[in-house]
Amino acid sequence: MNPQQDTHPEAFNVNADSSELGQTREKDPAIVTRTLAAPFVVRAKGLKKIYKMGEETVHALNGVDFNVKRGEYISIMGPSGSGKSTLFNMIGGLDKPNEGRIYIDDVDIASLDTLELAWLRCHKIGYIFQSYNLIKVATALDNVMLPMTFAGKQQAEAQDKAVYLLEQVGLGDRVLHKPLEMSGGQQQRVACARALANDPSIVLADEPTANLDSKTGEEIINLLREINEKQNVTIITATHDHKMLAVSDRIAWVRDGRMDRIQERADIKITKGEMHGI
Amino acid sequence: MNHDPQHRANEEEIQPLSLHKIVRIAVRGIKVRIWRSVLVVSGIVLAMAFLSYILCSDAFARNVLEYGSRDLIRHLTAEGIINLETIADQRVQTYWVAGLALLISLAGIMNAMLMSVTERFREIGTMKCLGALTGFIMKLFLIESLFAGVLGTTLGLIIGFGLAYVEGYFTYGGEVTALFPPLHLLLSILFCFITGILLTLLGAVYPARLAAKMSPVMALRSEM
Repeated sequence: MNPQQDTHPEAFNVNADSSELGQTREKDPAIVTRTLAAPFVVRAKGLKKIYKMGEETVHALNGVDFNVKRGEYISIMGPSGSGKSTLFNMIGGLDKPNEGRIYIDDVDIASLDTLELAWLRCHKIGYIFQSYNLIKVATALDNVMLPMTFAGKQQAEAQDKAVYLLEQVGLGDRVLHKPLEMSGGQQQRVACARALANDPSIVLADEPTANLDSKTGEEIINLLREINEKQNVTIITATHDHKMLAVSDRIAWVRDGRMDRIQERADIKITKGEMHGI
Repeated sequence: MNHDPQHRANEEEIQPLSLHKIVRIAVRGIKVRIWRSVLVVSGIVLAMAFLSYILCSDAFARNVLEYGSRDLIRHLTAEGIINLETIADQRVQTYWVAGLALLISLAGIMNAMLMSVTERFREIGTMKCLGALTGFIMKLFLIESLFAGVLGTTLGLIIGFGLAYVEGYFTYGGEVTALFPPLHLLLSILFCFITGILLTLLGAVYPARLAAKMSPVMALRSEM
Protein backbone atom coordinates (compact mmCIF):
# COMPACT_ATOMS: atom_id res chain seq x y z
CA MET A 1 0.00 0.00 0.00
CA ASN A 2 1.61 3.20 -1.05
CA PRO A 3 -0.76 6.04 -1.65
CA GLN A 4 2.13 8.44 -2.10
CA GLN A 5 2.76 6.81 -5.41
CA ASP A 6 -0.36 8.55 -6.61
CA THR A 7 0.26 11.82 -4.95
CA HIS A 8 3.87 12.74 -5.71
CA PRO A 9 3.84 15.42 -8.37
CA GLU A 10 7.36 14.50 -9.55
CA ALA A 11 6.23 11.08 -10.60
CA PHE A 12 3.92 12.43 -13.23
CA ASN A 13 5.89 15.03 -15.08
CA VAL A 14 6.63 12.78 -18.03
CA ASN A 15 4.22 14.35 -20.48
CA ALA A 16 3.42 17.53 -18.68
CA ASP A 17 4.49 19.64 -21.65
CA SER A 18 1.76 22.20 -21.93
CA SER A 19 1.61 22.03 -25.73
CA GLU A 20 0.59 18.41 -25.50
CA LEU A 21 -1.97 18.95 -22.84
CA GLY A 22 -4.82 20.16 -24.98
CA GLN A 23 -4.58 17.06 -27.11
CA THR A 24 -4.23 14.64 -24.27
CA ARG A 25 -7.17 16.04 -22.44
CA GLU A 26 -9.37 15.31 -25.39
CA LYS A 27 -7.97 11.86 -25.81
CA ASP A 28 -8.04 10.52 -22.34
CA PRO A 29 -8.72 12.02 -18.95
CA ALA A 30 -6.81 9.19 -17.30
CA ILE A 31 -3.60 10.21 -19.05
CA VAL A 32 -4.08 13.77 -17.93
CA THR A 33 -4.45 12.46 -14.39
CA ARG A 34 -1.05 10.91 -14.56
CA THR A 35 0.66 13.78 -16.30
CA LEU A 36 -0.75 16.52 -14.17
CA ALA A 37 -0.76 15.78 -10.50
CA ALA A 38 -1.72 19.26 -9.43
CA PRO A 39 -1.56 20.45 -5.84
CA PHE A 40 -5.34 20.43 -5.81
CA VAL A 41 -7.13 17.13 -5.67
CA VAL A 42 -10.54 18.76 -6.16
CA ARG A 43 -11.13 21.92 -8.18
CA ALA A 44 -14.61 23.34 -8.55
CA LYS A 45 -15.42 26.37 -10.68
CA GLY A 46 -18.74 28.17 -10.77
CA LEU A 47 -20.77 25.15 -9.67
CA LYS A 48 -24.51 25.58 -10.10
CA LYS A 49 -27.15 23.04 -9.34
CA ILE A 50 -30.82 23.59 -9.86
CA TYR A 51 -33.48 21.18 -8.71
CA LYS A 52 -37.02 21.29 -9.95
CA MET A 53 -39.49 20.50 -7.23
CA GLY A 54 -42.87 20.60 -8.89
CA GLU A 55 -43.27 24.14 -10.19
CA GLU A 56 -40.58 25.56 -8.00
CA THR A 57 -36.92 25.66 -8.90
CA VAL A 58 -34.47 25.37 -6.07
CA HIS A 59 -30.97 26.75 -6.51
CA ALA A 60 -29.06 24.31 -4.37
CA LEU A 61 -25.73 25.69 -5.51
CA ASN A 62 -25.28 29.18 -6.84
CA GLY A 63 -21.84 29.42 -8.31
CA VAL A 64 -19.41 27.79 -5.91
CA ASP A 65 -15.65 28.01 -6.37
CA PHE A 66 -13.78 25.61 -4.21
CA ASN A 67 -10.37 23.93 -4.18
CA VAL A 68 -9.16 21.13 -1.98
CA LYS A 69 -5.42 20.66 -1.53
CA ARG A 70 -3.92 17.25 -1.81
CA GLY A 71 -3.48 15.63 1.57
CA GLU A 72 -5.44 18.17 3.59
CA TYR A 73 -8.22 17.57 6.07
CA ILE A 74 -11.08 19.87 5.21
CA SER A 75 -14.50 20.17 6.79
CA ILE A 76 -17.52 21.57 5.00
CA MET A 77 -19.89 23.21 7.46
CA GLY A 78 -23.29 24.68 6.87
CA PRO A 79 -26.86 24.47 8.01
CA SER A 80 -29.15 21.94 6.36
CA GLY A 81 -30.52 23.26 3.09
CA SER A 82 -27.36 25.29 2.51
CA GLY A 83 -26.29 23.17 -0.44
CA LYS A 84 -23.64 21.43 1.62
CA SER A 85 -24.86 17.95 0.73
CA THR A 86 -25.16 18.83 -2.95
CA LEU A 87 -21.61 20.13 -3.04
CA PHE A 88 -20.46 17.10 -1.14
CA ASN A 89 -22.18 14.69 -3.53
CA MET A 90 -20.55 16.42 -6.48
CA ILE A 91 -17.11 16.04 -4.99
CA GLY A 92 -17.92 12.38 -4.57
CA GLY A 93 -18.92 11.95 -8.21
CA LEU A 94 -22.45 11.10 -7.13
CA ASP A 95 -24.07 14.12 -8.73
CA LYS A 96 -23.31 16.35 -11.69
CA PRO A 97 -23.59 20.14 -11.78
CA ASN A 98 -25.94 21.96 -14.17
CA GLU A 99 -23.29 24.58 -14.74
CA GLY A 100 -19.65 24.95 -13.90
CA ARG A 101 -16.89 22.40 -13.74
CA ILE A 102 -15.64 20.06 -11.09
CA TYR A 103 -12.33 18.27 -11.46
CA ILE A 104 -11.30 15.37 -9.31
CA ASP A 105 -7.64 14.55 -9.78
CA ASP A 106 -7.90 16.82 -12.82
CA VAL A 107 -10.62 14.76 -14.42
CA ASP A 108 -13.76 16.64 -15.35
CA ILE A 109 -16.61 14.74 -13.73
CA ALA A 110 -19.12 15.91 -16.33
CA SER A 111 -17.11 14.27 -19.14
CA LEU A 112 -17.31 10.81 -17.61
CA ASP A 113 -19.81 8.17 -18.62
CA THR A 114 -21.36 5.76 -16.11
CA LEU A 115 -18.58 3.22 -16.47
CA GLU A 116 -15.87 5.81 -15.89
CA LEU A 117 -17.77 7.27 -12.96
CA ALA A 118 -17.97 3.81 -11.41
CA TRP A 119 -14.22 3.49 -11.90
CA LEU A 120 -13.64 6.85 -10.25
CA ARG A 121 -15.80 5.94 -7.28
CA CYS A 122 -14.10 2.62 -6.96
CA HIS A 123 -10.47 3.73 -7.18
CA LYS A 124 -10.25 7.40 -6.32
CA ILE A 125 -12.83 7.93 -3.63
CA GLY A 126 -13.59 6.23 -0.35
CA TYR A 127 -16.97 6.89 1.21
CA ILE A 128 -17.94 7.01 4.86
CA PHE A 129 -21.62 7.54 5.57
CA GLN A 130 -23.56 8.88 8.49
CA SER A 131 -25.39 5.58 8.99
CA TYR A 132 -22.31 3.43 8.16
CA ASN A 133 -24.11 1.69 5.26
CA LEU A 134 -22.33 -1.58 5.74
CA ILE A 135 -23.82 -4.59 3.98
CA LYS A 136 -25.73 -5.98 6.93
CA VAL A 137 -25.59 -9.63 5.97
CA ALA A 138 -21.85 -9.66 5.31
CA THR A 139 -19.01 -9.88 7.83
CA ALA A 140 -16.66 -6.97 8.50
CA LEU A 141 -14.08 -8.76 6.35
CA ASP A 142 -16.48 -9.18 3.41
CA ASN A 143 -17.55 -5.55 3.72
CA VAL A 144 -13.96 -4.34 3.44
CA MET A 145 -13.24 -6.78 0.62
CA LEU A 146 -16.21 -5.65 -1.48
CA PRO A 147 -14.64 -2.56 -3.10
CA MET A 148 -11.54 -4.62 -3.88
CA THR A 149 -13.73 -7.27 -5.53
CA PHE A 150 -15.27 -4.52 -7.65
CA ALA A 151 -11.77 -3.33 -8.54
CA GLY A 152 -10.95 -6.84 -9.76
CA LYS A 153 -8.41 -7.72 -7.10
CA GLN A 154 -7.57 -11.36 -6.44
CA GLN A 155 -9.51 -12.91 -3.57
CA ALA A 156 -6.47 -13.86 -1.47
CA GLU A 157 -4.79 -10.50 -1.92
CA ALA A 158 -8.02 -8.68 -1.09
CA GLN A 159 -8.48 -10.76 2.03
CA ASP A 160 -4.98 -10.06 3.33
CA LYS A 161 -5.41 -6.37 2.76
CA ALA A 162 -8.86 -6.33 4.38
CA VAL A 163 -7.50 -8.02 7.49
CA TYR A 164 -4.61 -5.55 7.57
CA LEU A 165 -6.97 -2.58 7.26
CA LEU A 166 -9.29 -3.90 9.96
CA GLU A 167 -6.27 -4.30 12.25
CA GLN A 168 -5.28 -0.73 11.46
CA VAL A 169 -8.66 0.58 12.64
CA GLY A 170 -8.43 -1.54 15.78
CA LEU A 171 -10.83 -4.31 14.84
CA GLY A 172 -8.35 -7.14 14.36
CA ASP A 173 -10.38 -9.32 16.72
CA ARG A 174 -13.73 -8.63 15.06
CA VAL A 175 -12.95 -9.54 11.49
CA LEU A 176 -15.71 -12.12 11.21
CA HIS A 177 -18.39 -10.19 13.07
CA LYS A 178 -21.43 -8.93 11.22
CA PRO A 179 -22.46 -5.27 11.49
CA LEU A 180 -25.37 -5.97 13.82
CA GLU A 181 -23.00 -7.68 16.24
CA MET A 182 -20.96 -4.50 16.54
CA SER A 183 -21.46 -1.13 18.18
CA GLY A 184 -21.99 2.02 16.12
CA GLY A 185 -18.41 3.11 16.63
CA GLN A 186 -17.10 -0.26 15.54
CA GLN A 187 -19.32 -0.23 12.46
CA GLN A 188 -17.99 3.18 11.54
CA ARG A 189 -14.44 1.83 11.93
CA VAL A 190 -15.30 -0.95 9.49
CA ALA A 191 -16.62 1.76 7.15
CA CYS A 192 -13.28 3.62 7.51
CA ALA A 193 -11.38 0.45 6.63
CA ARG A 194 -13.69 -0.12 3.67
CA ALA A 195 -13.15 3.45 2.47
CA LEU A 196 -9.39 2.82 2.36
CA ALA A 197 -9.65 -0.50 0.54
CA ASN A 198 -8.60 0.72 -2.91
CA ASP A 199 -6.08 3.34 -1.72
CA PRO A 200 -8.25 6.29 -2.72
CA SER A 201 -6.97 9.84 -3.20
CA ILE A 202 -9.93 11.20 -1.30
CA VAL A 203 -11.95 9.93 1.63
CA LEU A 204 -15.37 11.55 1.80
CA ALA A 205 -17.06 11.39 5.17
CA ASP A 206 -20.67 12.54 5.30
CA GLU A 207 -21.56 13.44 8.89
CA PRO A 208 -19.47 10.50 10.11
CA THR A 209 -20.09 11.24 13.77
CA ALA A 210 -23.77 12.22 13.66
CA ASN A 211 -25.03 8.82 14.82
CA LEU A 212 -22.38 8.36 17.49
CA ASP A 213 -22.09 9.54 21.07
CA SER A 214 -19.59 12.26 21.80
CA LYS A 215 -16.75 10.03 22.95
CA THR A 216 -17.07 7.49 20.13
CA GLY A 217 -17.42 10.36 17.68
CA GLU A 218 -14.15 11.77 18.91
CA GLU A 219 -12.47 8.41 18.42
CA ILE A 220 -13.66 8.30 14.82
CA ILE A 221 -12.46 11.87 14.26
CA ASN A 222 -9.05 10.94 15.63
CA LEU A 223 -8.98 7.85 13.46
CA LEU A 224 -9.74 9.96 10.39
CA ARG A 225 -6.97 12.38 11.33
CA GLU A 226 -4.59 9.47 11.80
CA ILE A 227 -5.51 8.08 8.38
CA ASN A 228 -5.01 11.52 6.91
CA GLU A 229 -1.56 11.95 8.43
CA LYS A 230 -0.22 8.42 8.05
CA GLN A 231 -1.42 7.71 4.55
CA ASN A 232 -1.50 11.21 3.16
CA VAL A 233 -5.11 10.75 2.04
CA THR A 234 -7.20 13.85 1.51
CA ILE A 235 -10.13 13.85 3.90
CA ILE A 236 -13.25 15.85 3.17
CA THR A 237 -16.03 15.81 5.70
CA ALA A 238 -19.45 17.38 5.83
CA THR A 239 -20.30 17.90 9.44
CA HIS A 240 -22.13 19.70 12.19
CA ASP A 241 -19.75 18.36 14.78
CA HIS A 242 -17.63 21.11 16.29
CA LYS A 243 -15.11 18.56 17.51
CA MET A 244 -14.26 18.07 13.87
CA LEU A 245 -13.07 21.66 13.58
CA ALA A 246 -10.23 21.06 16.01
CA VAL A 247 -8.55 18.58 13.66
CA SER A 248 -9.42 20.13 10.29
CA ASP A 249 -6.76 22.00 8.37
CA ARG A 250 -9.42 24.19 6.80
CA ILE A 251 -13.10 24.77 7.27
CA ALA A 252 -15.36 25.74 4.40
CA TRP A 253 -18.63 27.42 5.31
CA VAL A 254 -21.48 26.99 2.88
CA ARG A 255 -24.50 29.24 3.07
CA ASP A 256 -27.44 29.68 0.68
CA GLY A 257 -25.75 27.79 -2.11
CA ARG A 258 -22.58 29.85 -1.89
CA MET A 259 -19.17 29.44 -0.37
CA ASP A 260 -19.45 31.84 2.53
CA ARG A 261 -15.84 31.71 3.62
CA ILE A 262 -12.95 29.34 4.04
CA GLN A 263 -10.95 29.48 7.23
CA GLU A 264 -7.62 28.03 8.23
CA ARG A 265 -7.61 26.20 11.53
CA ALA A 266 -5.25 28.78 12.97
CA ASP A 267 -7.91 31.43 12.47
CA ILE A 268 -10.33 29.67 14.74
CA LYS A 269 -9.81 29.81 18.42
CA ILE A 270 -11.34 26.98 20.28
CA THR A 271 -11.77 27.12 23.98
CA LYS A 272 -13.67 24.76 26.22
CA GLY A 273 -17.11 24.24 24.75
CA GLU A 274 -17.02 27.57 23.06
CA MET A 275 -15.80 28.80 19.75
CA HIS A 276 -14.70 32.19 18.67
CA GLY A 277 -14.18 33.64 15.29
CA ILE A 278 -17.02 31.74 13.66
CA MET B 1 -19.79 5.32 -23.74
CA ASN B 2 -16.41 5.92 -25.31
CA HIS B 3 -15.23 3.03 -27.42
CA ASP B 4 -11.93 4.54 -28.45
CA PRO B 5 -9.43 1.67 -28.05
CA GLN B 6 -6.84 3.80 -26.27
CA HIS B 7 -9.51 4.90 -23.89
CA ARG B 8 -10.54 1.37 -23.19
CA ALA B 9 -6.99 0.27 -22.52
CA ASN B 10 -6.88 2.53 -19.52
CA GLU B 11 -10.03 1.06 -18.11
CA GLU B 12 -8.92 -2.52 -17.93
CA GLU B 13 -9.55 -2.45 -14.22
CA ILE B 14 -13.27 -1.82 -14.69
CA GLN B 15 -13.72 -5.16 -16.39
CA PRO B 16 -17.08 -6.50 -15.30
CA LEU B 17 -16.84 -9.22 -12.69
CA SER B 18 -16.79 -12.77 -13.98
CA LEU B 19 -20.10 -14.62 -13.97
CA HIS B 20 -18.60 -17.19 -11.64
CA LYS B 21 -17.86 -14.51 -9.06
CA ILE B 22 -21.31 -12.96 -9.36
CA VAL B 23 -22.92 -16.39 -8.91
CA ARG B 24 -20.84 -16.84 -5.76
CA ILE B 25 -21.95 -13.49 -4.39
CA ALA B 26 -25.57 -14.29 -5.33
CA VAL B 27 -25.47 -17.68 -3.62
CA ARG B 28 -24.00 -16.09 -0.51
CA GLY B 29 -26.74 -13.47 -0.64
CA ILE B 30 -29.43 -16.15 -0.78
CA LYS B 31 -27.84 -18.13 2.05
CA VAL B 32 -27.48 -15.26 4.48
CA ARG B 33 -30.97 -14.03 3.75
CA ILE B 34 -32.33 -17.54 3.98
CA TRP B 35 -35.69 -16.70 5.57
CA ARG B 36 -36.30 -13.90 3.14
CA SER B 37 -35.38 -16.27 0.32
CA VAL B 38 -37.71 -18.94 1.70
CA LEU B 39 -40.52 -16.39 1.70
CA VAL B 40 -39.86 -15.40 -1.91
CA VAL B 41 -39.57 -19.03 -2.98
CA SER B 42 -42.75 -20.03 -1.13
CA GLY B 43 -44.64 -17.28 -2.98
CA ILE B 44 -43.48 -18.80 -6.24
CA VAL B 45 -44.25 -22.32 -4.96
CA LEU B 46 -47.83 -21.39 -4.09
CA ALA B 47 -48.49 -19.67 -7.39
CA MET B 48 -46.95 -22.48 -9.42
CA ALA B 49 -48.68 -25.19 -7.38
CA PHE B 50 -52.00 -23.54 -8.18
CA LEU B 51 -51.27 -23.19 -11.88
CA SER B 52 -49.83 -26.67 -12.30
CA TYR B 53 -52.67 -28.23 -10.32
CA ILE B 54 -55.25 -26.66 -12.65
CA LEU B 55 -53.36 -27.64 -15.78
CA CYS B 56 -52.46 -31.15 -14.63
CA SER B 57 -55.95 -32.05 -13.55
CA ASP B 58 -57.18 -30.75 -16.90
CA ALA B 59 -54.56 -32.93 -18.58
CA PHE B 60 -55.79 -35.96 -16.61
CA ALA B 61 -59.35 -35.24 -17.70
CA ARG B 62 -58.28 -35.01 -21.32
CA ASN B 63 -56.27 -38.19 -21.05
CA VAL B 64 -59.33 -39.97 -19.71
CA LEU B 65 -61.26 -39.06 -22.80
CA GLU B 66 -58.48 -40.08 -25.13
CA TYR B 67 -56.98 -43.12 -23.45
CA GLY B 68 -59.50 -44.16 -20.80
CA SER B 69 -61.26 -47.52 -21.08
CA ARG B 70 -64.91 -47.59 -22.20
CA ASP B 71 -65.90 -48.87 -18.79
CA LEU B 72 -64.34 -45.92 -17.05
CA ILE B 73 -65.95 -43.37 -19.34
CA ARG B 74 -69.34 -45.06 -19.01
CA HIS B 75 -68.94 -45.13 -15.26
CA LEU B 76 -67.88 -41.47 -15.09
CA THR B 77 -70.76 -40.42 -17.31
CA ALA B 78 -73.22 -42.32 -15.15
CA GLU B 79 -71.79 -40.64 -12.05
CA GLY B 80 -72.21 -37.26 -13.77
CA ILE B 81 -68.49 -36.47 -13.49
CA ILE B 82 -68.15 -36.02 -17.20
CA ASN B 83 -70.84 -35.00 -19.57
CA LEU B 84 -69.88 -35.51 -23.19
CA GLU B 85 -72.36 -32.90 -24.36
CA THR B 86 -71.01 -30.05 -22.25
CA ILE B 87 -67.38 -31.05 -22.42
CA ALA B 88 -66.51 -28.23 -24.81
CA ASP B 89 -67.94 -25.64 -22.39
CA GLN B 90 -66.00 -27.19 -19.56
CA ARG B 91 -62.79 -26.87 -21.55
CA VAL B 92 -63.41 -23.14 -22.02
CA GLN B 93 -64.04 -22.83 -18.31
CA THR B 94 -60.79 -24.57 -17.54
CA TYR B 95 -58.90 -22.14 -19.74
CA TRP B 96 -60.46 -19.25 -17.89
CA VAL B 97 -59.37 -20.70 -14.58
CA ALA B 98 -55.90 -21.40 -15.94
CA GLY B 99 -55.67 -17.82 -17.21
CA LEU B 100 -56.70 -16.58 -13.81
CA ALA B 101 -54.14 -18.81 -12.15
CA LEU B 102 -51.52 -17.34 -14.47
CA LEU B 103 -52.48 -13.80 -13.49
CA ILE B 104 -52.35 -14.68 -9.81
CA SER B 105 -48.92 -16.23 -10.29
CA LEU B 106 -47.71 -13.14 -12.09
CA ALA B 107 -48.92 -10.82 -9.35
CA GLY B 108 -47.61 -13.05 -6.57
CA ILE B 109 -44.18 -13.60 -8.05
CA MET B 110 -43.69 -10.00 -9.14
CA ASN B 111 -44.67 -8.80 -5.72
CA ALA B 112 -42.21 -11.12 -4.04
CA MET B 113 -39.40 -10.02 -6.36
CA LEU B 114 -40.26 -6.34 -6.12
CA MET B 115 -40.12 -6.49 -2.35
CA SER B 116 -36.85 -8.35 -2.23
CA VAL B 117 -35.25 -5.73 -4.50
CA THR B 118 -36.74 -2.57 -3.03
CA GLU B 119 -35.81 -3.51 0.50
CA ARG B 120 -32.23 -3.55 -0.71
CA PHE B 121 -32.14 -0.15 -2.42
CA ARG B 122 -29.80 1.20 0.20
CA GLU B 123 -27.48 -1.73 -0.18
CA ILE B 124 -27.50 -1.19 -3.94
CA GLY B 125 -26.70 2.51 -3.49
CA THR B 126 -23.81 1.61 -1.22
CA MET B 127 -22.49 -0.90 -3.71
CA LYS B 128 -22.69 1.70 -6.48
CA CYS B 129 -20.70 4.12 -4.34
CA LEU B 130 -18.07 1.44 -3.90
CA GLY B 131 -17.77 1.10 -7.66
CA ALA B 132 -20.32 -1.55 -8.62
CA LEU B 133 -21.41 -1.36 -12.25
CA THR B 134 -25.04 -1.27 -13.36
CA GLY B 135 -24.53 -4.58 -15.13
CA PHE B 136 -23.23 -6.23 -11.97
CA ILE B 137 -26.33 -5.29 -10.00
CA MET B 138 -28.63 -6.43 -12.81
CA LYS B 139 -26.83 -9.77 -13.08
CA LEU B 140 -26.74 -10.25 -9.33
CA PHE B 141 -30.50 -9.86 -9.02
CA LEU B 142 -31.29 -11.89 -12.12
CA ILE B 143 -29.14 -14.78 -10.94
CA GLU B 144 -30.67 -14.65 -7.48
CA SER B 145 -34.15 -14.67 -8.98
CA LEU B 146 -33.23 -17.45 -11.37
CA PHE B 147 -32.29 -19.65 -8.42
CA ALA B 148 -35.52 -18.74 -6.65
CA GLY B 149 -37.47 -19.30 -9.88
CA VAL B 150 -36.05 -22.76 -10.61
CA LEU B 151 -36.40 -23.94 -7.03
CA GLY B 152 -39.87 -22.47 -6.49
CA THR B 153 -41.22 -23.67 -9.81
CA THR B 154 -39.92 -27.21 -9.31
CA LEU B 155 -41.39 -27.46 -5.82
CA GLY B 156 -44.66 -25.90 -6.97
CA LEU B 157 -44.88 -28.32 -9.86
CA ILE B 158 -44.35 -31.30 -7.60
CA ILE B 159 -47.06 -30.10 -5.23
CA GLY B 160 -49.51 -29.19 -8.03
CA PHE B 161 -48.95 -32.44 -9.85
CA GLY B 162 -49.25 -34.40 -6.61
CA LEU B 163 -52.59 -32.77 -5.82
CA ALA B 164 -53.89 -33.39 -9.31
CA TYR B 165 -52.73 -37.01 -9.09
CA VAL B 166 -54.41 -37.60 -5.74
CA GLU B 167 -57.58 -36.01 -7.01
CA GLY B 168 -57.35 -38.10 -10.17
CA TYR B 169 -56.85 -41.24 -8.13
CA PHE B 170 -60.12 -40.66 -6.28
CA THR B 171 -62.00 -39.73 -9.45
CA TYR B 172 -60.66 -42.20 -11.94
CA GLY B 173 -59.56 -44.96 -9.60
CA GLY B 174 -56.53 -47.11 -10.32
CA GLU B 175 -56.70 -46.27 -13.98
CA VAL B 176 -55.03 -42.93 -13.29
CA THR B 177 -51.55 -44.44 -13.69
CA ALA B 178 -52.61 -45.82 -17.04
CA LEU B 179 -53.29 -42.19 -18.06
CA PHE B 180 -49.62 -41.28 -17.56
CA PRO B 181 -48.21 -41.55 -21.09
CA PRO B 182 -49.50 -38.42 -21.92
CA LEU B 183 -48.70 -35.65 -24.22
CA HIS B 184 -51.15 -33.38 -22.44
CA LEU B 185 -49.59 -33.95 -19.05
CA LEU B 186 -46.06 -33.45 -20.34
CA LEU B 187 -47.04 -30.30 -22.15
CA SER B 188 -48.76 -28.94 -19.06
CA ILE B 189 -45.72 -29.59 -16.89
CA LEU B 190 -43.36 -28.09 -19.44
CA PHE B 191 -45.61 -25.07 -19.81
CA CYS B 192 -45.73 -24.55 -16.04
CA PHE B 193 -41.97 -24.89 -15.70
CA ILE B 194 -41.16 -22.36 -18.40
CA THR B 195 -43.91 -20.00 -17.27
CA GLY B 196 -42.71 -20.11 -13.66
CA ILE B 197 -39.15 -19.21 -14.53
CA LEU B 198 -40.16 -16.60 -17.07
CA LEU B 199 -42.52 -14.95 -14.60
CA THR B 200 -39.81 -14.87 -11.94
CA LEU B 201 -37.30 -13.29 -14.29
CA LEU B 202 -39.91 -10.86 -15.55
CA GLY B 203 -40.76 -9.97 -11.98
CA ALA B 204 -37.09 -9.37 -11.22
CA VAL B 205 -36.07 -7.47 -14.36
CA TYR B 206 -38.16 -4.39 -13.73
CA PRO B 207 -37.18 -3.71 -10.11
CA ALA B 208 -33.57 -4.74 -10.80
CA ARG B 209 -33.34 -2.26 -13.68
CA LEU B 210 -34.91 0.37 -11.51
CA ALA B 211 -32.38 -0.28 -8.78
CA ALA B 212 -29.36 -0.63 -11.02
CA LYS B 213 -30.01 2.57 -12.95
CA MET B 214 -30.85 4.63 -9.92
CA SER B 215 -28.23 7.21 -9.07
CA PRO B 216 -26.39 6.20 -5.91
CA VAL B 217 -27.56 9.32 -4.10
CA MET B 218 -31.20 8.45 -4.66
CA ALA B 219 -30.69 4.84 -3.64
CA LEU B 220 -28.87 5.91 -0.48
CA ARG B 221 -31.57 8.37 0.40
CA SER B 222 -34.38 5.81 0.19
CA GLU B 223 -35.58 4.52 3.52
CA MET B 224 -34.71 1.02 4.58
